[in-house]
Amino acid sequence: MLPRKSPFFVTRREFLYLSGAAALAAACGTGSSATTTVPTTLAGTGAGTTAAPVEGGPEMSFVEPAEQLSGELKILLWSHFVPAHDAWFDPFAQEWGEMVGVDVTVDHIAVADVPAAIASEIQSGQPEHDLMQYIAVLSQHEPSVVDMADVVQEAESRYGTMLDLTRRSSFNPNTEKYYAYAPSWVPDPGDYRRSLWEGVGFPDGPASYDDLLQGGSEIFASEGVQLGIGMSQEIDSNMALRGLLWSFGAGIQDENENVILNSDATIAAIEYMNELFAGAMTPEVFAWNAASNNQGLNSGELSYILNSISAYRTAQDEGLEVADDIYFTPALAGPETAVVASHVMYNWIVPDAPDVNVSAAKEFLLHYTENLAPVAWNSKLYDFPAFPDRVPDLTGWIDSDPFGSNPADKLKVLNTSLDWATNIGHPGPANPAIGQIFGESIIPVMFAEAAQGAKTPQQAMEDAEAQINAIFDDWRGQGLVGGG
Amino acid sequence: MTSTTTRPPRYLGDNPRFLAGLFMSPAVIYIIALVGFPFVLAIIYAFTDISTGNPDLEFVGWATFRRVLADPVFRGALWNTFLFAVLANVLVVILATALAEILIRDFKGKWLVRFLVLLPWVAPVSLATITWLWTLDSIFSPIDWVLRQVGVITENVYWLGRPGTAMTSVIAVQAWRIVPLAAVIVLAGLIAIPKDINDAVAVDGAGFWRKMFQVTIPLLAPIIAVAVLFGVILTISDMSVVYVLTRGGPTNSTQVLSTWAFIKGIEGGALAQGAAVALFLLPVLIGITAVVLRLARRREVL
Repeated sequence: MLPRKSPFFVTRREFLYLSGAAALAAACGTGSSATTTVPTTLAGTGAGTTAAPVEGGPEMSFVEPAEQLSGELKILLWSHFVPAHDAWFDPFAQEWGEMVGVDVTVDHIAVADVPAAIASEIQSGQPEHDLMQYIAVLSQHEPSVVDMADVVQEAESRYGTMLDLTRRSSFNPNTEKYYAYAPSWVPDPGDYRRSLWEGVGFPDGPASYDDLLQGGSEIFASEGVQLGIGMSQEIDSNMALRGLLWSFGAGIQDENENVILNSDATIAAIEYMNELFAGAMTPEVFAWNAASNNQGLNSGELSYILNSISAYRTAQDEGLEVADDIYFTPALAGPETAVVASHVMYNWIVPDAPDVNVSAAKEFLLHYTENLAPVAWNSKLYDFPAFPDRVPDLTGWIDSDPFGSNPADKLKVLNTSLDWATNIGHPGPANPAIGQIFGESIIPVMFAEAAQGAKTPQQAMEDAEAQINAIFDDWRGQGLVGGG
Repeated sequence: MTSTTTRPPRYLGDNPRFLAGLFMSPAVIYIIALVGFPFVLAIIYAFTDISTGNPDLEFVGWATFRRVLADPVFRGALWNTFLFAVLANVLVVILATALAEILIRDFKGKWLVRFLVLLPWVAPVSLATITWLWTLDSIFSPIDWVLRQVGVITENVYWLGRPGTAMTSVIAVQAWRIVPLAAVIVLAGLIAIPKDINDAVAVDGAGFWRKMFQVTIPLLAPIIAVAVLFGVILTISDMSVVYVLTRGGPTNSTQVLSTWAFIKGIEGGALAQGAAVALFLLPVLIGITAVVLRLARRREVL
């Protein structure tokens, strides 16, 4: 017998009806609220928007697009290390959109999340964004992106020849395709504490790897302050150790994309690093993440790091005393040469998929290139142009830093950066194999295993070479890497 | 002889079979969409040479698996995964049993203690792990500072900078994260032990340790097995702790299958190899699940 029906009793059927009605109401509520919600667009999407744009600087200029544009342009890019850049970039993009009749949306995400976001959008075949940017080469996405040759051609016709450094980081010579457009890059000087290096006879900082070993060891012994060349599985260690290899005459590949790691020069570089670690560093360099050397320098715990000027700008912005003590050196000279990889290499890609607004994406990139001067200014001289003629005042800004350096010419070494900066595939192109080797941190692991004494330099090199050869074979099989 | 006929339900909402299907459907859809589909996709990917930039599926047979197996980092990650799961869960079982024994007793502020114990579990894993990243920092570690102040160490430990201490750190953090869940499961088991058994043990004069090892733990064994099962699955399938703390370093000494699958497949762009690495988690998890459930069932029978 059923219990007597109370006002609160519901049958299963009634329960289902009620649930359905509630769900419908909830769905309608969601829908109606969505129509009144301000879409996530330019304002307030990135961390950078909490910072104010930099005062002054060059005005934005505008060139009429070659064709009538329409529709939406969704841009995905990193949250810039210099937040003022994003505070400038977002309204800059929106303003361009209003001028050309395109509805622009900008989404900033943390740099560590960008590779996975791009990979998932491209894999889906229906990318959310029309234009995507990352701070390292995106050569592995070549089969799924639009050729940017026409953008490069147009930019070169307007602004002069593109730097070879950025071309080799966006062009695949095997397929003759521009898988990305690289209009800007970031140099990677040495950042040193003058007060410490003065004390050991190097007031202008180390000029060579020999200086680094001698001075760094003396500072560590006398002051207890170590050097900051990482051997960890992160971006800065990858960059620093490639520079070391090249300067010792070694490398991962030659200009024709043949693997050349197995060499006496590599052994010499590993042995040098063992000595440097033993004399001037602690095991903390095995544990670093991308922010560790910045933090160590600004907290006074490191005497020298290899990095962009972002750590220094942070010290300035936060009013740290150490800012006035930080100075810069060019790439250190090794037995063969003096080169380092660019700290950041901007790659902009346009997915090759239906409904992607290719025309708007490419026109925006030309507009961005047109405005490389505001880009450099608003990044506080962090971003450098791939078309130097577009920023004729850059040399002057660097010689007399408009952002409060003391002394004002502290950054002047950056004016020589094109003499010692190169791409991560040096002396060959930044192909997908080089990208994967970078992502898997094979080079830092090779150096670290030898420095820890877990392997001899020879063993560490041979093990790394075996992994690298396998990776090159994989990508050659896909036709994206030459040599072999 | 009378025959009874069941009248079919008049409305769909009164049909038990329809309702059963309806109520099960969200779970089924969830599992198919978020577990089944990616799983099938991973199997397909693992037999191709797909990369993050090239969605074309060209089947290459077992070549991807052979390539993965030849990789020394993968073999290290496989061993680390076992080590990580086993040691973390040994710690979990010991700490969770002790915690449950404490939490079942009456004392002042018990609700506060229960709340605090649950905190590591309810905090987002990435956020909690970042806190540990700072705590274990090579330069600024507060643990090192305390140890230096009391004279135990003269230089920093570099928790995440040496292979041994790095592995110890990731195991400890993973155990810290899972202990609350295991403690709640064990606590539920403790509450379910009939009071007359405890009374009989007390009358017989058994001490704390004897009661613990000869009565409580044998009775709790199936429940502890469930806690271990959850703990092992969470440890093996989760990459957050290792990825945030060490990214598998130093020198890949804390690399586990889940992090290596991500680094290989997404950061390296070799999606097929990443999928193949991830698939190795499956037999490991199935094997552990089978063993634990078998043990639990055997204890129940006994």
